[in-house]
Amino acid sequence: MTLLTTPKDIAETAARDAVERQLTSGKADTAGFAFRLLLLLALAMSVVVLGVLVVDVTTNSWGVVTNRGWDFVTSKLASQPGQAGVVQGLVGTFWIGAFVIAIAFPMGVAAAIYLEEYAQRGRFTNLIDLSIRNLAGVPSVVYGILGLTIFVKLLQPLTGPDANGRTLVSAGLTLAILVLPIVIITSTEALRAVPSGLREAGFGVGATRWEVVRHHVLPYAAPGILTGTILALARALGEAAPLILVGATTGYLSRGDDFLDLTALRERFAAMPTLIANWASQPGAEWESNTSAAILVLLVVVLLANTAAILLRNRFESKRR
Amino acid sequence: MKHTTRRTTWLLAMLAAVSLIAAACGDDDGDAGANGNGQTSDLTGSVVVSGSSTVEPISVAVAEKFNADNPDVDVPVDGPGTGDGFELFCAGETAINDASSKVKDEQIAACEENGVEFIELWIGNDGLSIMTNEANEEMSCVSLADIYALIGPESQGFDNWSDAQDLADELGSETTFPDAPLAITGPGEESGTFSSFVEIVIEEFNEDRGADATTRPDYQSSGDDNVIIQGIQGSDTSLGWVGFAFAREAEGVKILEVDGGDGCVEPTDETVADGSYPIARPLFIYVNAAMADENPALAAFVDFYLNGGVESVGEVGYVPLADEDLEATRALWEGRTTGAQ
Repeated sequence: MTLLTTPKDIAETAARDAVERQLTSGKADTAGFAFRLLLLLALAMSVVVLGVLVVDVTTNSWGVVTNRGWDFVTSKLASQPGQAGVVQGLVGTFWIGAFVIAIAFPMGVAAAIYLEEYAQRGRFTNLIDLSIRNLAGVPSVVYGILGLTIFVKLLQPLTGPDANGRTLVSAGLTLAILVLPIVIITSTEALRAVPSGLREAGFGVGATRWEVVRHHVLPYAAPGILTGTILALARALGEAAPLILVGATTGYLSRGDDFLDLTALRERFAAMPTLIANWASQPGAEWESNTSAAILVLLVVVLLANTAAILLRNRFESKRR
Repeated sequence: MKHTTRRTTWLLAMLAAVSLIAAACGDDDGDAGANGNGQTSDLTGSVVVSGSSTVEPISVAVAEKFNADNPDVDVPVDGPGTGDGFELFCAGETAINDASSKVKDEQIAACEENGVEFIELWIGNDGLSIMTNEANEEMSCVSLADIYALIGPESQGFDNWSDAQDLADELGSETTFPDAPLAITGPGEESGTFSSFVEIVIEEFNEDRGADATTRPDYQSSGDDNVIIQGIQGSDTSLGWVGFAFAREAEGVKILEVDGGDGCVEPTDETVADGSYPIARPLFIYVNAAMADENPALAAFVDFYLNGGVESVGEVGYVPLADEDLEATRALWEGRTTGAQ
């Protein structure tokens, strides 16, 4: 709904209304108005829910934010709520995000390109398509069990024998697999939205399939693909259930507070969502505000990741024009 | 022009991906030689602790203090629950299992099957607190028989306090229950607090009465102590139970005194430690005996736990052991005495 301010706006609206009245022969558009109100209500509801969440989390964590500030972000897990911080959770979540970006994105986009641009459509591809769609709806705990069986137990020598496989590598791979179907589906949709005329024109001037995909289809689909990957990344950063099964540590961790310590990838780890879940079950008001502060930190991280991806998408979009 | 910028973006993206993969597969030669600090020990290795969420805060506090002197020992601590912890412990995944109730026969069997021998070390106490809403003025003290009559297996279907009157009278209680709705909230079956409750209260009565060793099934259960407290706050004449340390932090609830036969006793540090409060429970750590021999970091950690470390029991809200009990625990550890005591 636009707010009417300038006389020009008012004149425009008046003119539009007059034309509309003539076309609808003066009948009042009650159904249309009700529908519009309904849409507005739906929008208002989602905004209010989000607003309440942010306000609630911010007020609850205000004590921690003002008293501890950066110290909360750089402190390690601890028994005393006044000393506990989230740095190990951030390191874990950072690397999980890195695994998702490095594994799920290229694999997912590649699979989607193959399915849409190269594969012969037929019963078999339809079956694959259907399974991928079903996989996207599988509850995340199930992926946790998958991660436990494959990465924690079976591939333990690779994922970290000293920590019984309960490592960042296992967690990162599990979440990468978790979001893979989402990446494939959204990328597929983005590729399908590319007008077929674009491809045909390419082939018409003698371009190979690779050239068509590389120079025409992909750039056109890039913003859509990126939107999907944004959703996938946000989902991966916020998942707690699979991490509980893979074995994220929530009580205490001696190390794991160095973002660039690569040996820590094969050691026990913490992650933001499980840390939040654990703190929420601790007794006392101090843990409660710590929980809210941790939620705030996770929100900021997800927001930053999304902003980066949206900026990237906008770049692609402006290029497309 | 347009083409080149697009190409650089591609190159950048590829570079980022490659560097990430390289980073992930990077060499693992560790941080050998990083320990140049003369003050601290050069003990290395790891001590994995899991088990009861009740004991977890104690182990975390001990691990913190231990790490201050031994920075290169990795001590991850977790609290999935006593039972889940024993599964990991008996599979040889963890070196220490925190427990808020004694090891069960089937857990001993599971450990034996995998050849895991353990040393049972009693490190402190926790009281169970029976609570009602602070608006409930009629109740201030309950006997064990009352608790059995209200929450035991025979109380299924009681939705008013007075429903339990006959059963309580039969068991020899002299309490008069109010005519008020009965809303019960407590821990779920997976919780150590649940099994302690069954062992301490229910098992006093159930065998004589031919009932199962469990609670009534029809109560609001949660694994999260905060949710239980909220449930108790939610109704004026509610009833529920959680661990002592948790109840102390709770607001809007009234902790009931408990009569174990010698009069009503309020749960306090003193009454739990000296055993006069009838529904208290012991807290243990179980140490993998074979690992204790092989892993000097584990031995050092347990040494520290039983000396400086046990002070944390009181600091995090539980009840420390009496001196002679602590001595007995230390003796078990020094002698590496395995098996349930």
